[in-house]
Amino acid sequence: MRVLTSRYWNRLWRRIFPLLALVSLAAMPVGHAAEPPLIMGVFPRFNASETTTRYAPLADHLSERLRRKVTLVTARDFETFWRGVEEQRYDIVHYNQYHYIRSAKTYQVIAHNKEFGKSTIAGALYVRKDSGITSLAQLRGRTIMFGGGEDAMIGYIAPVYMMLQAGLKKEEFAARFAVNPVNSVIGVHRRQADAAGAGDAAIGQAAVKSAINTDELTVLAVSDQLLHLPWAVRRSMAAVLRESIQSVLLELEAGDAGRKVLQSAGLTGIGKAEDKDYDPHRKMVRAVTGTLIPQ
Amino acid sequence: MRTRGYGIRLGLGAKFTLAVLTILAGTMAANTLYSLHISTAFHEKQLVERGNALGRLISLVSPEAILGFDFVQLNDYTHQLSSQRDVVYGVILSPEGLPLSSYVDDSDPLIKQRLEGVQSNDIAKLLQALDDDFELIRLQFPIVHNEVSLGRFLVGISTQTLHSEYRRQLLTQSLALAAIVLFLSAAIHVVFRFNVLSPIQALIAASRQLGRGQYTTVEVKSTDEMGLLAQAFNAMAEEVRQEQAKLHRQANFDTLTGLPNRLMALDRIDHAINRAKRTHQRFALFFIDLDNFKSVNDSMGHAVGDELLAATGARVQATLRDADTVARLGGDEFLVLAPDVVNEVQVEEIAERLIRAISEPQDLHGRKVVARCSIGIVLFPDNGDCVEMLMANADNAMYQAKATGQGSAIFFTDEMNTRLRERMQMEQDLNLAVELGQLELHFQPIFDTAGQHHRGAEVLLRWHHPEWGDISPSVFIPLAEATGQIVAIGDWVLEQTCRRWSAWHNAGIDPGFLAINISRIQFRRRFSRRLAELMSLYSVPPQALELEITESVLLDDHYDVGEELKGLRAVGVKLSLDDFGTGYSSLSYLKRFRFDVLKIDRSFIAGLPDSPEDVLLVKAILALAKGLDLKVVAEGVETYGQLSFLTNHGCDLTQGYLLSRPVNHEVYSTYLNSLKAEVEPRRLVRSERRIVNAGG
Repeated sequence: MRVLTSRYWNRLWRRIFPLLALVSLAAMPVGHAAEPPLIMGVFPRFNASETTTRYAPLADHLSERLRRKVTLVTARDFETFWRGVEEQRYDIVHYNQYHYIRSAKTYQVIAHNKEFGKSTIAGALYVRKDSGITSLAQLRGRTIMFGGGEDAMIGYIAPVYMMLQAGLKKEEFAARFAVNPVNSVIGVHRRQADAAGAGDAAIGQAAVKSAINTDELTVLAVSDQLLHLPWAVRRSMAAVLRESIQSVLLELEAGDAGRKVLQSAGLTGIGKAEDKDYDPHRKMVRAVTGTLIPQ
Repeated sequence: MRTRGYGIRLGLGAKFTLAVLTILAGTMAANTLYSLHISTAFHEKQLVERGNALGRLISLVSPEAILGFDFVQLNDYTHQLSSQRDVVYGVILSPEGLPLSSYVDDSDPLIKQRLEGVQSNDIAKLLQALDDDFELIRLQFPIVHNEVSLGRFLVGISTQTLHSEYRRQLLTQSLALAAIVLFLSAAIHVVFRFNVLSPIQALIAASRQLGRGQYTTVEVKSTDEMGLLAQAFNAMAEEVRQEQAKLHRQANFDTLTGLPNRLMALDRIDHAINRAKRTHQRFALFFIDLDNFKSVNDSMGHAVGDELLAATGARVQATLRDADTVARLGGDEFLVLAPDVVNEVQVEEIAERLIRAISEPQDLHGRKVVARCSIGIVLFPDNGDCVEMLMANADNAMYQAKATGQGSAIFFTDEMNTRLRERMQMEQDLNLAVELGQLELHFQPIFDTAGQHHRGAEVLLRWHHPEWGDISPSVFIPLAEATGQIVAIGDWVLEQTCRRWSAWHNAGIDPGFLAINISRIQFRRRFSRRLAELMSLYSVPPQALELEITESVLLDDHYDVGEELKGLRAVGVKLSLDDFGTGYSSLSYLKRFRFDVLKIDRSFIAGLPDSPEDVLLVKAILALAKGLDLKVVAEGVETYGQLSFLTNHGCDLTQGYLLSRPVNHEVYSTYLNSLKAEVEPRRLVRSERRIVNAGG
């Protein structure tokens, strides 16, 4: 038997090493380490600190799973946030349905929230039981407090859509805007308005229940169920990466780590979504704003 | 603490401790309350400042949330209050008064209490319910944005915890205070007890002993005020002891003779009684009274009298055994207590020794004096079983001895007591005799000796006792003099005499003069003035009355006899020296006091005309009277021989049974009426004598 010398081993190493390096590079995720971090923008549904608390675990989870740094970016207000959307500064973005509809040219929805075990949410109008209001027509001449601004899909657009459908015109009621649907429901209870526009699940939220006696309120009207808040990525994003992101999001419910991420974000899951799922939203937006929203 | 009756008497220690306790408790309680009050006020102020800071902060940050209808944020603000201690509610109200956000601490006891019947979310009612709660600090802050009112922020801060803490502190400090006060009071009480109370109690005990006559001193333990008090007490006790000894001496011994006095004598008798009762033995008491001691005093002076008493005491003491007691009872009275006597013979021997010792002549101030004594003797238990009875009986026996004659000793007998009781009964009855009309005036006519003409009468007093019959004046007059009743009786006699004379005179009858006996006792009481009043009242002329005065009146040194006699002279009545010859019959009296009449005592008349002595004496008296130009009245004329003698020897007036017995007023009036009708005097006298003797 022939004795293997060190020269032999050196020659062998010089031939094998390039091969091993090539294989290794091929096995690495695309863009990992060498690419800049992915920017994940979340709309200011909550304040910045609350948003960070809720979504930082998801960003970390994505970073880990994508092997690419995902940086969470918060905005101090909707204008700032929207400017970021318009400038496509976010690779991944989470916002409301109206935002998506407006940014659908540059962003592509890949998933939606599941909250309280539901993938959909409906707009609703609440009144105090002792208000004597039992129909949408009675809201004529009344003050309605909507949750969020005029771009709030569930808190404004859906309730106004129902009122329009009931024959009311926008000039026939006064609109007040609370910072969010929870506050609009509380505001009605506090007699700051005659009706509140919010999601159908708002009245069941802990923040509401802890603030008021919800038994004193009643639901005047509920809209059709609409798919929940969307998660979208830039349309210019590589398909591999988009699918990877979508995959990671959809798989959250499956594992303990994922469920923790979801729990932190206040979600019960994230479902797959595509653009056409938001056509009902587009219909309402068009009716309410009178604006032709680009597909 | 001691009780007396229904009251409670606190001791000095209790009072002092109570006072200290009260002052300490009051001072410390006031201090504690003040401190707690200050502390509570400070903490309340802190609460208010904290509430102000909180309220201003929330009112500052709220506008944005209100404008944005961010009720959750507002709730966050109000709920921030929950972390603040004592904040029980925080409410943000809209300008319309509607609650935009509220926080109510349901767990707070105050809120729990106020929430009864009020729903916790009914903020308006809750605020109303809490509106007048004194344990709540209510603060209010306006919420303004750009000078537009967005509402108010109301904060309620409970002071219940603070007050609870106040009460807890008060309780804790009160307990601590009570403990401190009790400890201090106990300590002060102990100090007070040892330094003040104990010495005072020692002084009290010593004072009580001193009060019982037990001389004692207290220990002087300090040089402070208590020590000085103890020293002062000891000095006082010593003075008291000396004074007591002196008082005891003065109270129990006679200063003149050095013998035990009446007080000690009675005490010795009492002891003797007790001892005799135990030993079943007898003892004797000798009640000694010097005879005529007054005469010694009067004639030789009080210094001699005192010396006589001292010498008598010494002699008596020298006569007796050591076990015997001699005491001076007072005046000229002595008492001898002779214990353990066997029989009356032994007692008689002692009495004889006493009489002999006393009656031995004594040389006093260069003059020989012979004292006599009368002794009353009682035996225990024969003549009494108590001090009073023994003394009374001895006194009684002594008087009997004195009545018997000088220098005699008499054993007490029960008859003496009988006589004494009778005498006392008589005294009582005599008090009522005038009032009951038992006294009566009798009249014994007086005639001129030569012509046997009626000249007047001697007024005599008779007492008709309802039980004992007529009582002789020789019995009841001395008694009346001894008791002083003679003054009232004499006055009655005087008035009745004036009245009778006036009545006869007014009836056209000439009663002549009326001679009235005047007692020396009566004489002392401004007699002349009273006589003048009565004479004026009944229009009795001075020649109608003659006052018979015995020599004893003149011997009385209690008043100025000369002045009184001068007064009587001024009234104009005649003065008669009664019983002349029986007493001193001092010629100096006749010289000093001008009398009108001499009345020869019946004892001299009785021997006439056969007794040469009486004849001689009567002749001498008649000669003396003639020489001094005095009328003479002979009383007790009972025989013709006496009458003849007196007639022959020039006696002016006579009275006696031969001429007429004393008769009562009716008989005498009849006699006077008969005199008025008669012309021939001698016949009248015979007829009168006959009538009067028949009437008597």
